[in-house]
Amino acid sequence: MIELNVHKTLQSAQGSMELHVELTVEKGQFITLYGESGAGKTSTLRMLSGLMPPDKGSITVNGTVWFDRERKTNLNPRHRNIGYVFQDYALFPNMTVSQNLEFALDRKQDKTVVEDLIATMELQQLRHRKPGTLSGGQKQRVALARALVRQPGVLLLDEPLSALDSAMRQKLQQYILEAHKKYGLTTILISHDIGEIIKLSDKVYEMQNGKIVRQGAPPDMFGLGKTSAKFRFTGEVIRIQKEDVVYVVTIRIGNDAVKVIADQSEVSHLQPGDKVAVASKAFNPVIQKI
Amino acid sequence: MEWGPIILTLKLAAATTAILFVLAVPLAYWLSRTTSRIKPVVEALVSMPLVLPPTVLGFYMLLAFSPQNAFGDWLDKWLGIQLVFSFAGLVLASVLYSLPFMVHPIQSGLSSLPNTLSEASYTLGKSKWTTLRKVLLPNIRPSLLTGIVLSFAHTMGEFGVVLMIGGNIPGKTRVASIAIYDEVEALNYGAANGYSLILLALSFITLLVVYLINGGYLKRFTV
Amino acid sequence: MNSFSGHIADIRTSDALSVVTVNINASVSFKAIVIDSPETASYLTKDHPVNVLFKETEVVIGTGEALAVSLQNKLKGTISALEKGPLLTRVAIHTSAGEIVSVISTASADELDLKESTNVTAMIKLNEIILAP
Repeated sequence: MIELNVHKTLQSAQGSMELHVELTVEKGQFITLYGESGAGKTSTLRMLSGLMPPDKGSITVNGTVWFDRERKTNLNPRHRNIGYVFQDYALFPNMTVSQNLEFALDRKQDKTVVEDLIATMELQQLRHRKPGTLSGGQKQRVALARALVRQPGVLLLDEPLSALDSAMRQKLQQYILEAHKKYGLTTILISHDIGEIIKLSDKVYEMQNGKIVRQGAPPDMFGLGKTSAKFRFTGEVIRIQKEDVVYVVTIRIGNDAVKVIADQSEVSHLQPGDKVAVASKAFNPVIQKI
Repeated sequence: MEWGPIILTLKLAAATTAILFVLAVPLAYWLSRTTSRIKPVVEALVSMPLVLPPTVLGFYMLLAFSPQNAFGDWLDKWLGIQLVFSFAGLVLASVLYSLPFMVHPIQSGLSSLPNTLSEASYTLGKSKWTTLRKVLLPNIRPSLLTGIVLSFAHTMGEFGVVLMIGGNIPGKTRVASIAIYDEVEALNYGAANGYSLILLALSFITLLVVYLINGGYLKRFTV
Repeated sequence: MNSFSGHIADIRTSDALSVVTVNINASVSFKAIVIDSPETASYLTKDHPVNVLFKETEVVIGTGEALAVSLQNKLKGTISALEKGPLLTRVAIHTSAGEIVSVISTASADELDLKESTNVTAMIKLNEIILAP
C-alpha cells in the first residue's frame, strides 16, 4: 500500500504553484493521474520515486518510510523498489536492448529474469539492436521490460503511450495490463486518453493546479456514467460481429452476456477486452415478472 | 635537429592530457549538474587560459613556485618538489593552461544528455558513480575524444608558459616550440623547419582523427 | 451513436420528470425527457453545455412536406450516403446540425425510394434522447 502526503512549491513559467497531493493506493491497484499538463502529475511521480524531494510530508510504501520530513528520512531512488517508465523512454543509447535490461539487474539477481521479460514483451528479434534503431512502440516495450527487471512492487508510467498511434497503443495497453497482473504490481499511470484510462485503471484521480480535485471509478468519471441515462451498466466487450449494416457487440455484465446493436462509428475504437459502459433510457426496457 | 625536443613535447602532452582527463571529468560533471552560486566563478576561472596571455600565467607561476618565495621554498624543503625549471612544473603549468580545452567539451557533452538517462539509471538501482561510468561517459564518447585531442594538440603548441616557467633545459624542459624559437635565434633555419614540420604534421593528424571519428567516417567501416 | 453538443435552452419540470430543450445551433434544437429535475441533477440549468446522444436505430425517416406525426424532434436534410443490407439500411443524412445516421429496414427504404441526395426529415422520439453533461 502506498500512502503519500506531500507538499511542494513548484516554479514554472506561469509562476509558482503549491502542490499538495494526498493519495492512498492499495496494493495491486492500478490507478491513473489525469489532468491538464502542468497540474503536477509528473512531479507527483518524481516525488514518489525520489527523483524530486518534497518540501514537507511523508511517503510510506508497504509500511516502509521512504520519505518523512519530520524524521529526516529520504530514501535514495536506488533503494526504492520502483520501476519508472519515462515519457521519453530514457533508454541508454550505448547499450543494446539486452544490455539495457541487464544493466538493471542487481548484483545477486538471476539473469533468467531478463530472458523471461524478453520473451513476455516479444523482444527476441530486437535484443541485439541499439535503441536508436527502434520504433516508438518497440522502445516503449523495452522501457517497460527494463523497468520490470528489478521486480519492483510499484510501477510508475509517465504518459508512456502518448507518442504512439492507436493500433500500437491498444497492443501496449495489453502488455501493461498483463505485466500488472502477472507481477502483482501496484501501478500509477499518467494519461490523457480516456479510453486508455477506462481500459486500464481501477481508479482515477483528476489533478488541477497541484491538487486532486476529483476521484472515482473511471466509468463514473468519464462519459456515459455521467449521462441522464438511468439504465446503465459497466461491462467487458466479448465479441464484435458485423451483421447486415450494423454491428452486434456482445458485452459481459456481471455474469450475464448482453447484445447491443452498434454503429460502425462506435465499434471502430472497440475491441474484445475493452471495458465499456452500456446505457439506455429508462423508457425502453420492458418489465416481466418471473 | 635532434629528436629530444620532439619526444619531450609528446611526453609532456601525454602526461598533461592524462592528468587533465582525470581532473576534468569530475569538474565537468559538477559544472553540468550544479545550481550553486559559485558556478559562474568556477566557469570563469576554468576559461581564463582562453583569454589570458600565456606569459601572464607563466609569470605568476614562476613567482609562486620560485624557491625565493615562501610557498616555493616550503615545497622544496618539505616535499622536495621543484616546480620551476623542471618537467613537473611544465606539466602543472600545461594542465592549468589546457584546462578549458578538456573541461568545455566534456561539460557540454554531459549537459546535452537528457536528465532522464541518469534518472532512469538511479531508479534502476544504480549509484551516481556507476551511472557516470556506464551510462553518461559512454554516451559522450565524441566529446571525450574532442577533449583529449584538443588538450593534447594545445599542449604540444604551447610556448609562453613553457618559456616562463620551464626555460630551455635540454632533455628537461626544452620542448619543440622552444627549440624552434632557439634555432631561429641562432639563424639555424633548417633545424627550425624540421621541428616546425613535425609539429605541423602532428597537429594536422590529431585534428584529422577527431573529425574522422566524430564525423562518423570511421563508423562506416567499423560497424 | 449520434452525438451533438449544445446548450440547455429550456427546462420544464413536473415532479420527477423534465422535458429539456437543447439548442445545437440557431435553427436546430432537440427535446429530451429525463427522469431528473434541477433538484436531482445539477447540470439541469439554463445555458449549461450538454451533449445530445441517440441511437441510429431510433431515428425515423420521412419524406415529403407537412408530416403530421407525434415526434417532436424533426430535422430536415439530404441523404449523403446509403448502405443497403438484406434487412437493414444505414442512411447518412446531411443536416444543418451535422451528419445524422439512421438505421431503418431495407423494405422501408425501398418503399420511400430513398437515394443519395433525396430530401428527407429525420425524427427522433423525445424519450430516446440521452443527455450527457
